[in-house]
Amino acid sequence: MAASFRVSVVTPEREVLALAARFVALPSFDGEIGILARRAPLLTQLGSGALRIEAAEGGTRTLFVSGGFAQMVDDKLTVLTEEALEPAAVTAEAARRDLAAAAALPARSEVEATKKQRAQDRARALTRAAR
Amino acid sequence: MANRRVLVKRRKSIGNIRKITRTMQLIATARFQAAFNRAVAARPYTEKLAELVGDLARGAGGIDHPLMAAGNPDAPAALVVVTSSRGLCGGYNANLLRLAQGQLESWRASGQAHELRVHGKKGIAYFRFQKRPLAEQSTAIGETPRYEQVEPLANGLIEDFLAGRLSAVHVVYMRFYSAGRQRPEIVQLLPLVDARPVETSEEPPAAAVEYEFRPEPGRLLSELLPATVRVRLFQAFLDAAVSEQVARMVAMKAATEASGEMIKSLTREYNRARQTHITMELLDIVGGANALA
Repeated sequence: MAASFRVSVVTPEREVLALAARFVALPSFDGEIGILARRAPLLTQLGSGALRIEAAEGGTRTLFVSGGFAQMVDDKLTVLTEEALEPAAVTAEAARRDLAAAAALPARSEVEATKKQRAQDRARALTRAAR
Repeated sequence: MANRRVLVKRRKSIGNIRKITRTMQLIATARFQAAFNRAVAARPYTEKLAELVGDLARGAGGIDHPLMAAGNPDAPAALVVVTSSRGLCGGYNANLLRLAQGQLESWRASGQAHELRVHGKKGIAYFRFQKRPLAEQSTAIGETPRYEQVEPLANGLIEDFLAGRLSAVHVVYMRFYSAGRQRPEIVQLLPLVDARPVETSEEPPAAAVEYEFRPEPGRLLSELLPATVRVRLFQAFLDAAVSEQVARMVAMKAATEASGEMIKSLTREYNRARQTHITMELLDIVGGANALA
């Protein structure tokens, strides 16, 4: 059996989960990163997508996260994110609604355009995760 | 006679009020516990974020970011005042507003332009009575502030600051230290100061970890710092919510105790009035009997 490490997912409101894992797939800002125990220290920015955790005692937990950071140090992975949705909240319907809302955002200035881009990226990731 | 009936009535109404204040005290206690748990649950995120900023600052060799630089000096400074929407919480709002007022006075004295962004009914009513213009007023964030409510607020402030529409942002709120101690405080939200955690002596700064940064530290930082601002504002709202419940708890406890005292003294007064009345009647009878004899 592979070595395990601690994972905790924290949002501004609470610690969503804390458990021992064998493998974690992180939705990084430029693609997925897989993390195993004893990985070298890493500090990365997250994009939107599914965070997959293979628990040490078996079973897989999935959360939809968008934005935030992950820190891996001393065999402890901390995921800081402003949004962590349980799979039950990730539905095709919610994704469609958010995508429509994102498409309706104004993009008159650079700041607004960035914001819109982010909202759309998030909604698209939600669509993918909902499948 | 009439006097005694009045005493009985007053005692009864005070008893009724005492029932209400005691209930409110109990409710505030329950809400305090809930608000306290929420504030504590938010702490790991805040601490971790500060730690990351510290690590990053070491990795990048210093921090330099527009959010930390002084803002446009000609723009107004914003004062965000977090008050409660409900009363009956003792000096809670009065203390906050006094502090806010002091800050406004000092800005006016130094000729610094400023604008007010007020949260909570009580603060809005106060400044409206003074006929001060409010740049923003909202009662949306109630006793259980949620992150998605505070986030757009913070993003708006960050945008205005970066665009040079604001020179600084200060927040007035009731800081929660412990159940026995809360203090109204003014905190500078922007430009961001001391984003790094206070270096404690136990933790040797030489133990810096060699991180792999993705993307490079500079870009990570420009994501981390806004997140720090957002979570700081959120923490202010959480603290305010806890402090409000504590203030209400204390105020209602005092009210319950005071009404107990009042009932006691009214009872004493009533008994004395009753005795006086009996004595007078007896004297009448005795006087009448003597006159007949």
